[in-house]
Amino acid sequence: MNMKKGILFYLRIYRKIVVQDIKSKMSYRADFIISMIGMIFTNICGALGFWLIFQRFPSIDGWNYNEMMFLYGFSLISATPAQCLFDNNWNLRIVVYDGSFIKYCFRPINLFFYYMSEVFDVKGLGQFLFGIIAVAYSWNKLSLPFHWYSLPLFIFMALSASLFVIALLNLASATCFWLVHSFFALQLSNTLRDFAKYPITIFGLTIRNLLTFVIPVAFMAFYPSMPFLRETQVQWQTYLTPVFGIFFLYISYKVWMKGALAYDGTGN
Amino acid sequence: MSIKKYSSMIRAGILDALQFRLALIVTTVGNLLYLLLIYHLWKAVFASADSPVVNGMTFSDTMIYLVFASSLMNFMEMWVVWFMGRSIQSGEIACDLLRPISYRSWRFFDGIGENIVKFVTTFLPTAIVVFIVSKGAIKLGSNLLFFVFSAGLSLVINFYINFMVGTICMYTDTIWGINIMKVVIVELFSGATVPIAFFPDSIKQIVLLLPFQTIVNTPLQLLLHPEFSLMERFTMLAPQITWFVILFFVSDWFFNISLRRITVNGG
Repeated sequence: MNMKKGILFYLRIYRKIVVQDIKSKMSYRADFIISMIGMIFTNICGALGFWLIFQRFPSIDGWNYNEMMFLYGFSLISATPAQCLFDNNWNLRIVVYDGSFIKYCFRPINLFFYYMSEVFDVKGLGQFLFGIIAVAYSWNKLSLPFHWYSLPLFIFMALSASLFVIALLNLASATCFWLVHSFFALQLSNTLRDFAKYPITIFGLTIRNLLTFVIPVAFMAFYPSMPFLRETQVQWQTYLTPVFGIFFLYISYKVWMKGALAYDGTGN
Repeated sequence: MSIKKYSSMIRAGILDALQFRLALIVTTVGNLLYLLLIYHLWKAVFASADSPVVNGMTFSDTMIYLVFASSLMNFMEMWVVWFMGRSIQSGEIACDLLRPISYRSWRFFDGIGENIVKFVTTFLPTAIVVFIVSKGAIKLGSNLLFFVFSAGLSLVINFYINFMVGTICMYTDTIWGINIMKVVIVELFSGATVPIAFFPDSIKQIVLLLPFQTIVNTPLQLLLHPEFSLMERFTMLAPQITWFVILFFVSDWFFNISLRRITVNGG
């Protein structure tokens, strides 16, 4: 694949493709509005689950309601780039199965880029909005300090965390290049992502290590939000988030491309 | 009316679901991961409680309830909304309506084979493991009979709810948003994520009036409380049977009036 074309070239193309996608989505206005409502509704019900638990119990292993809401909000924010920009992953198994994936192989631009650029999922912004509200609310309730560097650091940490969500989604969807019935891999990745909403201190050491080194779900919210939530308890993993995130994303990209290039174009 | 046409549809569904054994394994792994998560979550939650018994439930009661709840939900998982939504969008529904069987029955018997497979492959093993691990915490007797009856009703009620939500797709031409709202409502208000016993009293009273709790809460109460008298059991079943009857008529009625609205372009 041609990677020599500059990043500006890709940005320009991306804008063009995405504008088309948004235009076509806007023509189905009801779908757009209902999807957005559905997304926010799902997030509210997720928060309601926590709220219900805290009606009867004072804390979860020393984590109070507001801290849990912070983690929940953070996990929604860090899931936004994957939701908005890489959502076409969910359709991959369908186009691979029916053979229409072949059209992406004939363009003189990066295959992965072209495929992902085709869809911009607007409802991810609803999730983002709810995440911001949840974090701002709990930040305020917990009266966490707000330094001059807090906002840039938060953005940096959220972006680093988002790399893990994207990578996991890429890996799960790439299974369709090898398996016929790969929807379940995507469902599994969603189950794994559920782990991100909770402080990993509730798990035993083995699971903690698994969630850190093998399936790095703990980097999607827990480690990167520690500098804000519990400044004094920051562990070394927090500093590793961006580096490890880039590494994990790179692996997922390689796996995805390997599958795509091995694709024989006949469908299954 | 012959039984044969239904049994052949169910059989086809079973064979279809058995075809994808790897999917079954991956789903099982996913379910086990979910159980691992809720085990640690609720352990941490109970660690912070003042007493080991909260609202009449201990940690192990809660776990047994939640394990059963999640495997009930798994076994009852349906794709009716997606199927109906897609066939409405593509216009295929026009042909399906011509079948010599009512659309609702067709959807039900066509999908139930997969539920039967999932009952055998996920619910039964889970139930057996729970019985062994909990070392007879659940006494078996007539409560099993009530549970099976109630779980059967749950499956049908769940289907009617899905069928009605699928019918909504005729008005909205959208699936994802409608379906996801159904999923979260059913999960939350059925007591599958947080046992209804822990709901604040005012909310609990409302939730107990809704049909969703009859999907998970009713069969589980009947199974996990062998000490209930016959009277108590029928009091538990009454709302479920009532909702079954209501939804039986309402889902049919709603579908029929909605059919008048449908426009199929090109078919």
